[in-house]
Amino acid sequence: MDLLQIGSYTFSSRLILGTGKFSNSRVMLEAVRASGAQLVTVALRRFNREQAEDDLFGPLSSIEGITLMPNTSGASTAAEAVRAAHIARDLSGSPFIKVEIHPNPQHLMPDPIETFEASRILAKEGFLVMPYIAADPVLAKRLEEVGCASVMPLGSAIGSGQGLATSEMLNIIIRESGIPVIVDAGLRSPSEAAHAMEMGCEAVLVNSAVAAAGNPPVMAEAFAEAVAAGRKAFRAGLMEKSGSAVATSPLTFLGTF
Amino acid sequence: MKTLPDWLTDNRDTAALANMLSPESSRPVEELAAESRAMTLRRFGRTMTLYAPLYLSNYCSSGCAYCGFASDRQTPRHRLEPDEIRRELAAMKKLGISDVLLLTGERTAAADFDYLQRSVAIAAEEMPRVAVEAFPMSISEYRALADCGCTGITIYQETYNREQYEELHRWGPKKDFIDRLETPERALDGGIKNVGLGVLLGLSNPVEDALCLYRHVRHLGRTWWRAGLSVSFPRMRPQTGGYEPPFPVNDHLLARIIFAFRIALPDTELVLSTRESATFRDGMAPLGITRMSVESKTTVGGYDETDKPGNKSDKGQFEISDDRTAREFCAALRHQNIVPVFKNWEPAYNGPSATIHHERDADRSASTITPETETCH
Repeated sequence: MDLLQIGSYTFSSRLILGTGKFSNSRVMLEAVRASGAQLVTVALRRFNREQAEDDLFGPLSSIEGITLMPNTSGASTAAEAVRAAHIARDLSGSPFIKVEIHPNPQHLMPDPIETFEASRILAKEGFLVMPYIAADPVLAKRLEEVGCASVMPLGSAIGSGQGLATSEMLNIIIRESGIPVIVDAGLRSPSEAAHAMEMGCEAVLVNSAVAAAGNPPVMAEAFAEAVAAGRKAFRAGLMEKSGSAVATSPLTFLGTF
Repeated sequence: MKTLPDWLTDNRDTAALANMLSPESSRPVEELAAESRAMTLRRFGRTMTLYAPLYLSNYCSSGCAYCGFASDRQTPRHRLEPDEIRRELAAMKKLGISDVLLLTGERTAAADFDYLQRSVAIAAEEMPRVAVEAFPMSISEYRALADCGCTGITIYQETYNREQYEELHRWGPKKDFIDRLETPERALDGGIKNVGLGVLLGLSNPVEDALCLYRHVRHLGRTWWRAGLSVSFPRMRPQTGGYEPPFPVNDHLLARIIFAFRIALPDTELVLSTRESATFRDGMAPLGITRMSVESKTTVGGYDETDKPGNKSDKGQFEISDDRTAREFCAALRHQNIVPVFKNWEPAYNGPSATIHHERDADRSASTITPETETCH
């Protein structure tokens, strides 16, 4: 069976869902169920132990068969993310941590230096570290070296719906990586998710594209199907594009037999 | 007289905004609304972050012509003591509030920096997120507040028209236009993470003020690139003193300004308070606003029912318009498919921001991480 493996955990679904931005937690839970996602990310800052109606952690932890991956969204330094990871593990019991450090709260671009440092510390402490990064092939290898469980490069800016704007860099990251590459952020349509999977990503993470859709649960299902189709196509091996195999010079130098 | 900073007249990227704001704009308001709505949905989803103000004190040393707390108003003066602050916060928590804005008047002996700092420390024990709207401070004072758990400040320029500003601020420390203008920079240098800007719409030409406000946001964002910036759109409300605004802003123009800001600043938090009516707030909720106050009191205290009897005669800084309870307001948001978010912050992220000054300090590179920040005394 074709399973996604992260650390010692395996998942049959290769769609990871983000849980912010939904109009209410009922719709969010419906979308999670419809997506078949087994790994779901939730921001520590949206854990609210004092008010059940405002809390995302409680409802998610009630669903059978999903593993929570808390994230450190809101942290702007490595120190803050490390503190947040400890709190998130204490509250959720999950060994996963999505390291998300964006010092500029406007564009939400990840800070490579702080992300590297937090990931290094947390991996050493035994977390399954899933860093959210710009599509930087060198940073991806550096994070692999310090023991991250995966890398999560962005397809384009969070919430932009610009799709796989970074596909050239993603191709290099995928080709070189020894750990799962999960495209995170920027996807708008299921076809883009299928494309990411065809490129060889091990999984994709979506949030805005589902939460801001007209019908989030149906869109979640559409993404699940697209991810499965893309994965299947990758495993089957895509045929070469026309033009891609005839770009070399003719073999006239070999002479005639 | 101190000279105006260059950024205040910097037109390098104001053309699109100026076109959207102009009375002769080529873009109909319906078109702006649709674009603003779509951009907000993509970037912020179907969420609305909620906060509430807590007035700590209405003592004031300034003479702002438009304010109910100006030092010449015959209004009873109070300040909350630590046990009262704790009771008010407990009452606010019962409403669901976990994001509080602490307010005072201009610096006075009764409500000085030490008082404010102690109050912030108390609030940070109770609430995940604490911000301050008070008097301008020094860099070291801002750093001390950040150390105590203050994550943001709100500081409105009120108007960017210097002549009008000087006329309206009749006396007191707030009279210094340039000092006010530079306050957000000191806060960011001190490690305050979020700065809220705004103009008090009605005091001066609203389109010119909006353009200057935009330049201010862009100037801060370029220079203090880590800063979380938000923009508020307060309109003059009736207040003790009976000041009549010379440039009243109608609903149409206010809506146009908000849409234009969303389009010009796609990632910036836009705030609308209970100064506005329930109808206007409900109408704007899905169209660009991402942060709203809820069940606000503009009197000193006012949330705890065992409040001092003297406070009941306090008319507050201004009259609020949307007087719905938090529960009613949240129901209205949910009805529009928007989720009210009370907690959208984590105290693990408190403490001063890395700043330009810090970066020059070799002690604070990413490789030197201390597990806990120092506690605040």
